[in-house]
Amino acid sequence: MTFLIPLIPLLPLAGFAITGLLGREMGKQSHKVAVWAVVASWLVAMLVAFGALSHTLGFDAAGAGIKLWDWIPATGFHADMGFFVDPLTACLLIVVTTIGMLVHIYSIGYMAHDEGKWRFFAYLNLFMFSMLMLILADNFLLVFAGWELVGLCSYLLIGFWFPRRSAAEAAKKAFLVNRVGDMGFALGIMAIWTQLGTLNMQAVFAKFAGVPHEWQIAIALLILCGAIGKSAQFPLHVWLPDAMEGPTPVSALIHAATMVNAGVYLIARCNPIFGTVPEVMVIVAAIGIFTAIMAASIAFTQTDIKRVLAYSTLSQLGYMFASLGVGAWTAAIFHLMSHGFFKGLLFLGSGSVIHAVDGEQDMRKMGGLARKIPITYVTMLIGSVAIAGVPPLAGFFSKDEILGGAFKNGFLWVWAIGFVVAGMTAFYMFRLMGMTFWGQSRVDPEKEHPTHESPPTMTRPLILLAIPAIFLGLLIGFPPESGLLHQWLAPVFEATITASGRTEAAYSFFGIDGVLAIGTTALVAVAIVMAWRLFGVNMPALGLHAEPRPDRVRELSERQGLAELYRGSSHKWWFDDLNNLLFVVWGGKLAAAVFWFDRTVIDGTVNGIGTVTTGAGMRLRQVQTGRVQNYALGIALGLIAMAVGYILIAVR
Amino acid sequence: MPISDSIPLVGIRWDDVLFVVLAAALLGSALLVVTLRDIIRCGLALTASLASLAGIYALLGNPLVAATQVLVYIGAISVLILFAIMVTQTKNAPVRLAFQTQAWIAAVAAVAIAIVISITVLATTWPAGGQRLWTATTEVAHLLFSDYVLPFEVVSVLLTAAVVGGVYLARRESGPREEDRS
Amino acid sequence: MSNSLDSYLVLSGLLFAIGTFGFLARRNAISMLMSIELMINAVNLTVLAFGAFVAPLRVHAAVIALLVIAVAAAEATVGLAIVIAIFRNKKTPLVDEYDSMRD
Repeated sequence: MTFLIPLIPLLPLAGFAITGLLGREMGKQSHKVAVWAVVASWLVAMLVAFGALSHTLGFDAAGAGIKLWDWIPATGFHADMGFFVDPLTACLLIVVTTIGMLVHIYSIGYMAHDEGKWRFFAYLNLFMFSMLMLILADNFLLVFAGWELVGLCSYLLIGFWFPRRSAAEAAKKAFLVNRVGDMGFALGIMAIWTQLGTLNMQAVFAKFAGVPHEWQIAIALLILCGAIGKSAQFPLHVWLPDAMEGPTPVSALIHAATMVNAGVYLIARCNPIFGTVPEVMVIVAAIGIFTAIMAASIAFTQTDIKRVLAYSTLSQLGYMFASLGVGAWTAAIFHLMSHGFFKGLLFLGSGSVIHAVDGEQDMRKMGGLARKIPITYVTMLIGSVAIAGVPPLAGFFSKDEILGGAFKNGFLWVWAIGFVVAGMTAFYMFRLMGMTFWGQSRVDPEKEHPTHESPPTMTRPLILLAIPAIFLGLLIGFPPESGLLHQWLAPVFEATITASGRTEAAYSFFGIDGVLAIGTTALVAVAIVMAWRLFGVNMPALGLHAEPRPDRVRELSERQGLAELYRGSSHKWWFDDLNNLLFVVWGGKLAAAVFWFDRTVIDGTVNGIGTVTTGAGMRLRQVQTGRVQNYALGIALGLIAMAVGYILIAVR
Repeated sequence: MPISDSIPLVGIRWDDVLFVVLAAALLGSALLVVTLRDIIRCGLALTASLASLAGIYALLGNPLVAATQVLVYIGAISVLILFAIMVTQTKNAPVRLAFQTQAWIAAVAAVAIAIVISITVLATTWPAGGQRLWTATTEVAHLLFSDYVLPFEVVSVLLTAAVVGGVYLARRESGPREEDRS
Repeated sequence: MSNSLDSYLVLSGLLFAIGTFGFLARRNAISMLMSIELMINAVNLTVLAFGAFVAPLRVHAAVIALLVIAVAAAEATVGLAIVIAIFRNKKTPLVDEYDSMRD
C-alpha cells in the first residue's frame, strides 16, 4: 500500500492549485475543493497510519518508503524524491491530518464573511501539503523544502490580513526569526552531506556513529538550531506570540498543533543523531525547560486571550523539548499528540469566543460568557482541564510521563522546574477560563447584544477535538509507559535508548511513579483552586461558585516583591526590547556604518569608474563618424600594422 | 610557318612581351578607375582593366576562366555598373570632389599594402615549378561536376537569391495610392 | 618574366593595393563597388597564378576561380541594388553623406 503515500501530500497540493487558480471565480463555494482535498487526504493518511502502526498493508516494524524519482541526480550529489513512513511518521500523520481537517471545516464558518476566503483556503491547503511533505520526506533536503514551505505558509497566513499593519509586521517577524533557525538547519544538512555523502535519513542514521565526535556535536547543534527556530524555543521564541495576528484557525493549526511541532518531530526523528551526543541533549533539555517556565510566567499576566494560549503553547513545546533532552522520546511524542489536540481545541474555542464577541480579544472585556456560548464553554473547559493535567484527561498522562522520565533519567532539576510549570499551567488556564466565561460580563454594551453561539461548522470541530482531548491519554497512554503508543514507537527509539545505556525501570504505581503523579496532581489541584479564588468559578453542577476578586489580584500584583515579577511577566521579560536594542538600535547603527561605507567607498569607486568611462566615451565618440570609409581605413591600417609586425617577427 | 618563341633580333620572348603589355594595361586602367573624376570614364576604365586581366588568365594557360571573365565581367557586370551609374548620376552631384578628405592617408596605406605584399612574395620561396601549366577545359568540367558539384549548386542558389534580392532592393517603392488601388 | 610565379603575385598585390586605395578614397558609392571588383579580381589572379605554377592545384584553381567569379557577380548585383535603394532615399551617391551609423 506504499503507493498511497504520495497521495497524502498531493491531494492538498491539487486542492491548493485548483483553489489558488480558480478560487476567485468560485466565490462562496471556494472552500469546497480545499476541504474535500483535505478530507480525502485524511482518509488516505488514516489508512497508511493504520498500516504503519499495525505493520500490515506492506509496512513492517521499520516502516516502508516509496521513491518517486531522482530529484537531484547531479554528479557527486544526489537526492531522491521519496517518502518514508514509520510509526513515528504515522503518529504525526494522525495529528496533522486530523487537526488539519477539523480546522478546514471550522474555517468554513470562521472565514465565511471574509472576502479573501479562497486565498485563505488555498494557503491552508498549501500548508497541509508542505507539512505533510515535511513529515513524510525520506531525506533531509526534502525535509528542508517542506520546512521552508511551512515557514512560507506561516508567513502568508500570519499576514493574511495584511492591510493591518501589525499583521504584516508580525508576519515579517515570524519569517525573519525563523530564517535564523533555518540557516542553522541548512548548515547542518550541508555538514551531514560533507561527513556522510548522503542525505537519505535511514542511511545517515545507519552511518552516523562513524562520524568524528566534534562533527557529531556540530551537526546535532545545527539541527537543534533549526528546531528551536521552528518550535519557537528560547531565544527564538519571540515570533510565536506575535503570530497570533493571523486568523484563529491558523493559530490553531500552524502555531499550536502542527508546524511548531516540526522542531520536536525533527529532533525525535534524528534520535540516532542526538543519542550519540549526550552534551547536546543536556542543552536541549535546558532550553526546553527554561522556555517552559519563562513562557508560563508570561502567560500569567497577558490579557489577550490568544496570547495566553500562545505562551501556553511555548511552554508546552518547552516541555516536549525537555522530554526529548532527558531521553524520554516517546513521552515527547505523546505530549506532542495530546497537546496538538487539546491546544487545537483551545485555539478554535478562543476563535469561537472572539467570533461571539465580535472580534474582541481582550479578556478584560469578556466574562460571563458561559451561558451565552455553552458549547464553546464546555469544550474549552475540557481543553483547559486536559492541559492542566487533571487525571484522566490526555494532558495528565503525557505530562506525567515527561516529568517521570526526567526524574528517573536523573535530571532532577528538569523535573523540579517542570513540576512548578505544571502548577503554573493549571493556574493560568483557569485564570483564562475565569476571566472569559465566569463572573460578571464586562463586554462592551454595544457588542453585548449580538453575542451568539457559533455556527455548527465551527462547533462540531470543537466537539470532535474534545473527544481525543478526553480519551487520547487513556487510549494510547494507558497503562503508563507500556500503552499503545509505547508499543508503536518502540521500533523507532529502541536502538537509541539501548545505546544510551538507560534501562528504564518498569512503571510502578506504588513506587516512585505513583508518588510523582500524586504530587503533580496535588499541585495542579492547589493551583486550580487558587485561580478560582482569584478569578472566580461558576459550575453549579459541581456545586462550585466563587466571585472573581479583581481588587485582590491588584493588591497581590502591587505587593512588595511580587510587583517586580508582575511587571517583568507582563512585559514578557523584555525580550522584545532586548531584541529591539540588539538588532534594531545597535544593528541599525552598524547598518548605518555599512551604508556610509557603501555610499562613499564602494559607490564612490563604482561611480568613479562610471564617470571615467563616460568621459572617455564622450571623447572617443568623435571617432565614430558613421562613415563606412573611415572605419574601413582603420581596418586597413590595422591590417598593415599586423602584417608588418608579422613580417618583422618572421624575419628575426 | 610557325612563329618563333621570341622576337627576332631582340631575343625577348613573346610571352614576356605579352605579359608586360597586359600588366601595364591592367595596372594603368586600374589606376584610372580609382583616379578619374568622371565616373562614366571610371566605368569604362574598369572594363578595360578586366579585359586585360582576361588576357593574363589566357597567358596563364587557362582559356576557360579567361572566357568566363570576358562573359561575366565585361559582358554583365560592367554593363550593370554602367547602368547603375546612369541611374544614380544627378546633375547637382559635385563632380570635382571625387575624393574623400582621407585620400592621402588612403594612398599611403595602399602603397604600404603594395610594399608589404611585394616583400612577402619576393621573400618567400614558393614550391612552384618554373613553367606554366596548361589547364584543359574538359578537366575543369569533370572536376566541377564531380567533386565540386555541391558548391556549384550552392552558388546557383546564391545567384538566384542575389537576383531576387537585387530586384527587391532596387524596385521602386509602391506609393500608398497604388496600394489602395490593388 | 611570364614564367615566374613571383611576377604574377606582385602584379596581383599591386592591383589589390590600387583597389584598396579606391575603396578608401573615393566618395562615390559606385566607385567603391568598382574598387571592390578590382580587389576580387586581384585575389582571383592569385588563385590562378598558383594553379598555373603548382601542379596539384592546377584544376582546382580553375574551379575556384570560376566559383569566385560567380559569387562576385552575385555580390555586384546586390551591392548595386543597395546603392540604388540608398540613392533613392538620400538623393545622393556620395558615401560620406551616408552617416546614419553615427546616431
